[in-house]
Amino acid sequence: MSLHAVLQLFQGLDTLSHADAGIVAARLGLIVLGMVLFYLGKKGVLEPLLMIPMGLGMVAVNAGVLFLDPATAAAVTERAVAAGQQTPGTLFMAPLVQNTDSLMYILQVDFLQPIYTFAFSNGLIACLVFMGIGALLDMGFVIARPFQSMFLALCAELGTVATFPIAVALGLNFREAASIAIVGGADGPLVLFTSLSLARHLFVPITVVAYLYLGLTYGGYPYLIRFLVPAKLRAIKNPPKGAIEVTSGEKLAFTVVGCAVLCLLFPAAAPLFLSLFVGVAIREAGMKYFLDFVGGPMLYGSTLFLGLLLGVLCEASTILNPKVLVLLVLGIISLLLSGIGGLLGGYVLYLVSGRKFNPVTGIAGVSCVPSTAKVAQKEVSGVAPDALILPEALGANISGVITTAILTGIFVTLVPLIH
Amino acid sequence: MIRTAIVSALEIFGIAAIITFFVALLIKGVFHIVRFVGRKAPK
Repeated sequence: MSLHAVLQLFQGLDTLSHADAGIVAARLGLIVLGMVLFYLGKKGVLEPLLMIPMGLGMVAVNAGVLFLDPATAAAVTERAVAAGQQTPGTLFMAPLVQNTDSLMYILQVDFLQPIYTFAFSNGLIACLVFMGIGALLDMGFVIARPFQSMFLALCAELGTVATFPIAVALGLNFREAASIAIVGGADGPLVLFTSLSLARHLFVPITVVAYLYLGLTYGGYPYLIRFLVPAKLRAIKNPPKGAIEVTSGEKLAFTVVGCAVLCLLFPAAAPLFLSLFVGVAIREAGMKYFLDFVGGPMLYGSTLFLGLLLGVLCEASTILNPKVLVLLVLGIISLLLSGIGGLLGGYVLYLVSGRKFNPVTGIAGVSCVPSTAKVAQKEVSGVAPDALILPEALGANISGVITTAILTGIFVTLVPLIH
Repeated sequence: MIRTAIVSALEIFGIAAIITFFVALLIKGVFHIVRFVGRKAPK
């Protein structure tokens, strides 16, 4: 059997042999990266719920490239393809198809296309994940100490605000800059929503960068805490506060009023606010069957397909955007500045409280629920096993979700108006 | 363009700070109103 015949039999290899050197390197690099993400997810270094399906999707989409038949190629590229012309592609999905006739054809050919078209490209999956997150949040931690929690959460948005002009200085336009800046809010669904609203052409690399870095916060923030907060201060026990028992009725009252006010202020982000508060309401109203569904199959099903679709979107030809390197740098700057901002907020409360407040609590304002709150408590327990900062940290953590949603609303509303 | 971005970032932070303070106030206010309305009358 000749080499030509072997390559025709194994089309993944054939497409590699016919591609440009850059595409070959990118495909092989992304296959290796997918395997690394899969491994790090399995080891627990990165978030396994996302990284395992994402890594596997990344491997499969970059390996499974074939020469499309003329009808599929014409639907994917939305232009006529001559017989005999070789068009490489995959049978996973075609993210850029807009023509309705092509879309109808692709929906029947590509196996992930229906989920992508009906749940991902319109931001629905972000809302479903947000609803699931809402069902996991106990607003009682925020209601018990609203000003302290919201102050820390606001400080932890330093990265979101400061990265915006930095991104513009690095050559991005205002819409692209806002989309990458929101990574500092450390909330995946909100990054997805913002980039879909403001910079649709960059939403694949921005969302991938965001989810990669969100996994890294768990590993990187402990070093930031140890670097910026001396052990003596990490051992401080937060001042005891009389236990405030918040009833479900009180939480529900805030849910309704908060949802109405925030939707009124930022209609552009209203789907997100509604999703979050529906989750909270289901939890607090004691609707057991809804809670089991929203906090279980819906949240984890959405997360599974989110990871899988993100992996499949990491195809070499899609991800080879010259702006990706800039986005990688800006993403890390954004999360780093947010962590520093949160700790600075913690220091402010430390000084205001007469040196009784543990400044480490501030980093929990970065809204990676509940990772950053757990990281803060773990670092404190490392030097003072009996010091408990988790209630204050969870308050800041949950407030972080609200402040990031507020900033998303402001970005989505204001940035298109900046000239 | 960079100057516009810096000014816009400051404006965005200012608006976010006001809204955040307002939300904290709302949480506190709603909590006290619901508690006041829902309190049991002394027998």
